[in-house]
Amino acid sequence: MSDERRPTPPIAGDERRATPPIAGDERQQTLRELDAALEDLRVEIRSRFGGPTTRAEAKTEIDWFELFEELRRRAGAFGIVERSGEVDDFGADDVVLARTRPVWDFLQDRWWRIDVHGIENLPDAGPCLLVANRSGLLPYDGIMISHAIEREHPAHPLPRFLVADWLITLPFMQPYLARIGGVRAARENAERLLERGHFVVAFPEGQKGAAKLFRERYRLQRFGRGGVIRLARDTGAPLVPVAVIGAEEVHPVLFKAHTVARSLGLPFVPVTPTFPWLGPAGFLPLPSKWTIRFGRPLDLGGLGGDAVEDELLISRLNEELRREIQTMVDDGVRSRPSVWG
Amino acid sequence: MDAPHAVGITGLGTFLGQRLAERISARGIRVIGLDVRRPYRIAEKIRFQRIDLTEPTADARLAELLARERVDTVLHAAFRAQPSANREIDHELETIGSLHVMNACAAAKVSRLVFASSTMLYGPWPDNPNFLTEDHPLRGHPDAHQVADRVEAERLLSRFGRRHPDVEVTVLRHCWIMGPSYLDHVVAYFERPVVATLLGYDPLLQFVHEEDCLRAYERALLEPHPGVYNVVGKGVWPLSTLLRLAGKRSLALPPPLLYRMGDYPSKAQTGDAPSGFYDYLRYLWVAAGERGWAAFGEPEYSTKEAWISFVSSRRMRRYR
Repeated sequence: MSDERRPTPPIAGDERRATPPIAGDERQQTLRELDAALEDLRVEIRSRFGGPTTRAEAKTEIDWFELFEELRRRAGAFGIVERSGEVDDFGADDVVLARTRPVWDFLQDRWWRIDVHGIENLPDAGPCLLVANRSGLLPYDGIMISHAIEREHPAHPLPRFLVADWLITLPFMQPYLARIGGVRAARENAERLLERGHFVVAFPEGQKGAAKLFRERYRLQRFGRGGVIRLARDTGAPLVPVAVIGAEEVHPVLFKAHTVARSLGLPFVPVTPTFPWLGPAGFLPLPSKWTIRFGRPLDLGGLGGDAVEDELLISRLNEELRREIQTMVDDGVRSRPSVWG
Repeated sequence: MDAPHAVGITGLGTFLGQRLAERISARGIRVIGLDVRRPYRIAEKIRFQRIDLTEPTADARLAELLARERVDTVLHAAFRAQPSANREIDHELETIGSLHVMNACAAAKVSRLVFASSTMLYGPWPDNPNFLTEDHPLRGHPDAHQVADRVEAERLLSRFGRRHPDVEVTVLRHCWIMGPSYLDHVVAYFERPVVATLLGYDPLLQFVHEEDCLRAYERALLEPHPGVYNVVGKGVWPLSTLLRLAGKRSLALPPPLLYRMGDYPSKAQTGDAPSGFYDYLRYLWVAAGERGWAAFGEPEYSTKEAWISFVSSRRMRRYR
């Protein structure tokens, strides 16, 4: 795949999820008839009660009640997320996804100018377990990996990204992340998703990866206790390493305010060049240049034999996976001209 | 043992007790209903026996009664629909009462015990997986005494099951029941004119329709299904969508403010500390239903349909 940015394909996800048009000609006809009948009824009622007889007349004077209702409706809808109400088992909402897709498109094409390499390493269909390096406080990397796969993969699957506990239990964050496809990072959840043939993006570094300082950037932390390897072994899903380069510069954490964090009961409070100095504007991610690389699926042959040997093999494979991603990250960091691309 | 000859039902006055007594006796099976007082309007065929499970010697009396009536299957459904403000009495009924029922079943050589439980016993915890299976530990909630009592009762039950392998123990954990006629403190919460919710939280909820729930219990009483099963509807729905569909006014309050009402249980109308109830509207506690569906058949109502059935029966939706 070439380095140059690919043209934005028509958002095929939309098309895929759109409901087929149910309204046929017959239905249209019925609706028109119904409308006409209702209009007649309105005229009839107005003539009996001495009101204006046609719509044109009605427009001449202001219907205060109508105006008030309209204003109330608009005020009520202000800031309220439009939802279809239909969510899947893990809480993802197609309407919210369709609404946020332009935002992710903007972030991918203009803000971070993301280059995606190696999409052909992914299987044609799920299940597939993607393992990536975690960076940044907010789950931008998970969202962008998912979005890149959804856009570039020929089957346009909707990958689900796993989110650390502390993030998904925050107020406002929890319902929102769930609606856009985030799932709490738990083995049971990942297993269930993979069994149903989903693409799952996991970050085995967990909070250690998200909370590291700027000077520790692109240095991968311990990969849990081999949970991803076990998951791939038990579900039979191919395990694809993913390297995200550029996400570390989005929120460069200078240091962590331990005392403040303790008094607020938070796991950590980051201090970046913009946060908390600029207030809410400090949440704005910096426009670094991103690259997302998908590696070759890891070979898990030899697993599934003796239980004791398996444990040793799992920790070896786990470390191998970590080193693989570290190498991919290092290559990416070395080959980019600058942070801003 | 396949079909039972005589079924004993504790808590005849409860929704589950009464409805199941009617269903089972309609099949021509003898039903002995047990409760502290005779329920209003109960079918003639159902034999009523008065028993108070909170009495210290209730187990001996119950055992004698079950043996005399040659009961071979017992449904234990004597649980409160609404936790009372009196923790001690609730504990006596729900934990010690359950223990009495277990002991009586063992003494009377009952061959099948069906135990009414709830998915609320898993507890609302931020680290719950999206779907709780039957093997997940029961963590309950420290501020919900009703749940804590029933968790203890289930612990006693699993010990009972190990000690008496000849008794077939079936535990049915049903989630919140919705339907035209079901009423408990959860339904009462949704029936209020203004529903208080937690600002910034919009959990996924699941319901089971009363018909599906009753069918699962009926099959558990009539067929051998030893083990633990979640009885839930299919699909999940966010709380906000449920309320919007019902045309309900909701008031989102910051959690600390809502929990501060802890001193006024009567205001919270939950019988428990508010956190013991509102945490269920804060964190996930959705149960996986596959095992139950495989054993008792697919539910006829999804979560959404159960909710709509409840809403339409209460005419909650304002006519526009």
